[in-house]
Amino acid sequence: MIDTSGITMRFGTVEALTALDISVGDGVTGLVGANGAGKSTLIKILLGLLEPTSGTAQVLGHDIATESAEIRRLVGYMPEHDCLPPDVSASDFVVHMARMSGLPATAARERAADTLRHVGLDEERYRQMGGYSTGMKQRAKLAQALVHDPSLVFLDEPTNGLDPAARIDMLQLVQRIGRDFGIAVLVTSHLLGELEKVSDHVIVLDGGKLLRSSATSDFTEHTGGLLVEVLGGDAERDAFGEALARTGLSCRPRGQLVAVDPPPQHLSLHALVRDTAADLGLGLVRIQPDQAHLEDVFLTDGVLHG
Amino acid sequence: MAERTGVIHDIGYRGYDGPREGMGSLALTLYVTGLRHAFGLGRSGRSKVLPFLLLGLAVVPSVIVVGVVTMIGLDSLPLSYAAYLNQIQMLVTLFAAAQAPVLFSRDLRHRSIVLYLARPLPPALFALTRWASLATAILVFTLLPTFLLYVGGLLAGLDTGEETPVFLRSVALQLLLAALLAGIAGLISSVALRRGFAVVASIVALIVVAGVVLIVQEIAAFEGIEKVGEIAGLFSPWATHNGLAEAWDAGGTSTIELSGAWPLAYLGTALVVCAACLALLVRRFVKVGSR
Repeated sequence: MIDTSGITMRFGTVEALTALDISVGDGVTGLVGANGAGKSTLIKILLGLLEPTSGTAQVLGHDIATESAEIRRLVGYMPEHDCLPPDVSASDFVVHMARMSGLPATAARERAADTLRHVGLDEERYRQMGGYSTGMKQRAKLAQALVHDPSLVFLDEPTNGLDPAARIDMLQLVQRIGRDFGIAVLVTSHLLGELEKVSDHVIVLDGGKLLRSSATSDFTEHTGGLLVEVLGGDAERDAFGEALARTGLSCRPRGQLVAVDPPPQHLSLHALVRDTAADLGLGLVRIQPDQAHLEDVFLTDGVLHG
Repeated sequence: MAERTGVIHDIGYRGYDGPREGMGSLALTLYVTGLRHAFGLGRSGRSKVLPFLLLGLAVVPSVIVVGVVTMIGLDSLPLSYAAYLNQIQMLVTLFAAAQAPVLFSRDLRHRSIVLYLARPLPPALFALTRWASLATAILVFTLLPTFLLYVGGLLAGLDTGEETPVFLRSVALQLLLAALLAGIAGLISSVALRRGFAVVASIVALIVVAGVVLIVQEIAAFEGIEKVGEIAGLFSPWATHNGLAEAWDAGGTSTIELSGAWPLAYLGTALVVCAACLALLVRRFVKVGSR
């Protein structure tokens, strides 16, 4: 979908992106980085809105320097900032945006209605967008990015400003776009935890440099440790944890659970957990593999490279 | 809208394999939408009030003039085309000043320009299309009353052979005037993003300057220093329009009579100013696109 080689972007003396080589495939790709890491700049370069200081890139097989109009015909873009005129209804606006992407009038109307339904704007779509909540505005912005059935969408911080429930909805929608709609997604966020749930591949930018690019499963691979929950409250949890510690395992409480680090030699961790629980007369609620989180990898990598 | 039924069927996501329009059709769509928006069509009910009120005020006197010609049976229009436009100069300028922000400030202020520029239309073509929409809207605004004068006059028995060339020359000057007003008001609105500022700045640039130019021309005519008056006329689209209308007989009157090569100088200046406005507009939108 996207291949860049040596993309460098300088604004005056500030280097926003440094010799970036990345490649993005199908499905959902997360682009992670702190504010100012160069995420939005990269998207603008890929759209052909900014000319990189040096380097080349291909989007959907088209060169950004020479065929940017063709690229813009095939991709959708949801900007980070507010970009909706307040005195127009979402319905009218999305139809107009569909037409500006080259859809004929009838198709534009049909697809606008379809897309608005998919992003979850129903009756509200006939109201002027000035009165929308942040969640509704984000949905309208997403609808205009999808209305022309692009092959690839750039979603710049789609969960920005949303409450936790709306955030989860939006992330599920992003996942659906990548998996069910069959549209490749490049989604940015400064919140790492969000992206690990929805993306197949994660690219980490730090200060305009590529920190890491790999499949999400590599980041969140099974660590070999276990999470165990026993029946009862904190007292039972602590008693269980202490009993495990006495067998030579290192473990610590994590919420209602006891997190057990990977055992030093290959002893049967599950059997040990079962026997310990039986000895104490505690009921086991669940045993699940402990997973690493994107944050952990990012932080260790950040320390190593930074 | 299709009739609503009780059940909503989730048919899943459907792709689009149909035709996609080329650059020309995109620009045409933007042009037509812009032209409609300039008159408040396709926008809220409130935004239709001002343009249509101004248009009504601009047209009513022409109906009265036609009525007078018909009833009294005059053999020429008491107020011919270009002279009529000079009389409604304030309304035309107000229309241009008030509606330019609709086409040039809105997208920039609400940043929806980003969404346009992420689509195939290049920023330069976007700016030019917006200008064409505004220029056409202004042309419609001036053409409607003058056309009523023309048709009404002919129906009242005026000589077709005499009126038609004058009317056509006036239309040509209206084209020039619309291009100039759209360029100047559009450029101001693309820089002053708050509507109030844009309107006031356009009024200062078009109405106040036109007033000053007129005063200078009157004084020059009174003192008999034609040259000063002729030069002053270059600074206002309205003085340019009136000067050329008198020189080329488009049914207009001007304080200053243009002699020798002055009409050509006026035309040339108008074209240069218009081109400069367009170049600056294009530059502005290209710059916005890269931000």
